[in-house]
Amino acid sequence: MASVRVTLGISSADVLTTALGLNVATTLTADSGTMIRAKVADTSGAGSGITVYKANDKDTSAYVYVNNLATEFEDYIYIYNDTDTDASVAKIAGGQFAFIPVAVDKTFKAYGTKVNQLIEYGVFGMDDPSNTLG
Amino acid sequence: MATTTASITVSSGDLTGDALSLSTTATLTKAGSATGLDQTSGVARKFFATAQTAYNLIAAADYTADKAHKVYIKNTSTSNSEYVTVELSASPNLSIGRLYGGDWMFIPYDGNNDIDIDTSDVNMTVEYLVIYEA
Repeated sequence: MASVRVTLGISSADVLTTALGLNVATTLTADSGTMIRAKVADTSGAGSGITVYKANDKDTSAYVYVNNLATEFEDYIYIYNDTDTDASVAKIAGGQFAFIPVAVDKTFKAYGTKVNQLIEYGVFGMDDPSNTLG
Repeated sequence: MATTTASITVSSGDLTGDALSLSTTATLTKAGSATGLDQTSGVARKFFATAQTAYNLIAAADYTADKAHKVYIKNTSTSNSEYVTVELSASPNLSIGRLYGGDWMFIPYDGNNDIDIDTSDVNMTVEYLVIYEA
């Protein structure tokens, strides 16, 4: 059994009249995980995107981190639920990231504004040994 | 112009043979622009005395569609068995995932769908923040 600590800080000196400083952390129980840097070949969904989380890979809870490594803001990465009619979940601009506890029984995929955009993504959780990534 | 930054750190000393440590920071800017997001809901907490189904936590009508808003949601429970299911409003609602006690999520939000939640138990509190643009 291993643990993964994830912290998030959101701060601004001027979005409010008083400083905004939000810091949270969570320690995840995990026995398996990935951290992958990959190119996203597709520019549309419809089941052809790169899989960032495969349904039932994890048991009970799964945590997905996606960082869009594009330097142009407009080069988006789209995360969608491939199991449920390709429903859009997130649109991540270049240079930005998302951290999403995803439904373990759904497959989530990604496509980009342009072909071969680079992303970094990770999945952490307790492995469901009855399912493989193959 | 306001400047808001979000930072995330993912670390583990025992998930892999060598320590895992990843950190990244993003400046939260308006869609297609280098100008910072300049409006916020403020950090809010909502207490639910009873278990909820499809409670509308964030209403799309309050935000301009197709923008680069950001959403943070946390389940403040300390129990590992109490969870908040986060959903995008649709017919039927699309489950994004579950936040167990202490879990949080940070996602981009385009303002096209309501964000609804289910709570698994009575007496649960959800903390949330929207940083947005007009």
